[in-house]
Amino acid sequence: MAYRPSKRQRHGMNEADANITPMMNLMVVLIPLLLTSAEFVKLGVIELNLPPAASGEEAGRLDQIPQESIKRLDLSVTITDQGFFISSAMAVLGGPQAGDPTIAMIFDDKGVSVYDFSALSRKLYEIKEASGTKFPDSEQIILLAEDNINYQTVISTMDAARTFQVDGRSIELFPEVSLSAGVF
Amino acid sequence: MAFIPSHRKKHRHEKREVRLQLTSMMDMFTIILVFLLKTYSTQGQLVNPSNDLTLPSSRIQTIPEMGLDVTVSNDWILVNNKPVVRTAAVLASEDYLIGSVQQEMLKYANEAEKMESQYGAVFSGKVTIQGDKNIPYRLLMRVMYTCGQAKHPNMRLVVYKLEA
Repeated sequence: MAYRPSKRQRHGMNEADANITPMMNLMVVLIPLLLTSAEFVKLGVIELNLPPAASGEEAGRLDQIPQESIKRLDLSVTITDQGFFISSAMAVLGGPQAGDPTIAMIFDDKGVSVYDFSALSRKLYEIKEASGTKFPDSEQIILLAEDNINYQTVISTMDAARTFQVDGRSIELFPEVSLSAGVF
Repeated sequence: MAFIPSHRKKHRHEKREVRLQLTSMMDMFTIILVFLLKTYSTQGQLVNPSNDLTLPSSRIQTIPEMGLDVTVSNDWILVNNKPVVRTAAVLASEDYLIGSVQQEMLKYANEAEKMESQYGAVFSGKVTIQGDKNIPYRLLMRVMYTCGQAKHPNMRLVVYKLEA
């Protein structure tokens, strides 16, 4: 009689399947759970540097008395509808002509006038380089804006004042940004 | 008499053939699971997105913290998600202080101060301001001034993080 292989072995192949049903159950529970707590938009937060319980005038007066003898930089950027004005305790940085903003608005590809944040950043970088750490407030900058400047512009200006982006690197400029009441 | 195949045997045969292929579904679920774990946040939802509230975007990398919520949308000013006053009404008025918002915030401040004296939960006066990107600067100033006058001097502005 010829050799006949056992038929039983073939059954073994079919039953080698892993039982993944409990794993599926786990997934079905885990995925909705994680979906509800997934973060699709990343949020950030900008800390404002304000003295506690200060209403404009009082804070100004208290600040000035003890520090009058120390030379301060008092750097500030004013956002107007024509562009940015940069000023310090010593002077206001003029534009190409008297009365012009330090950094004027530019036109983008579509001919819409927009704020030139990179030029502002570059200018502030020059100021930072020149002033170094000579002043006690070399990390601080004050932001002023006209009444109708929109919030996004203010935030972008803060970004430009905080860091200078060049060649994919970011150089810290004036990280302590404070906001000041509008221009009247 | 014709041959009738056994019904029981036929049934047994079919049962072995019909098998749900779960393996590919498992692969898919594994990928989704990894993706969701990566975007997992323990913070929960901080902002309720709506049509008239688009936060500005910024390159800042600071991680948000919870605090009292003041939302300034194009339509309403909300304190802890409760509408308090119409934005248009605030813009129309000449007053620098927003009275109704101050009242509402003082309520929270007083409660927190009570908690501080009774249970020692420190009240730091933290407030997060969520403003629409199109609100004018004067409105932002008024809201900030109001926060300061309502015992919440510790202000933060919430923004969308731009990928660096």
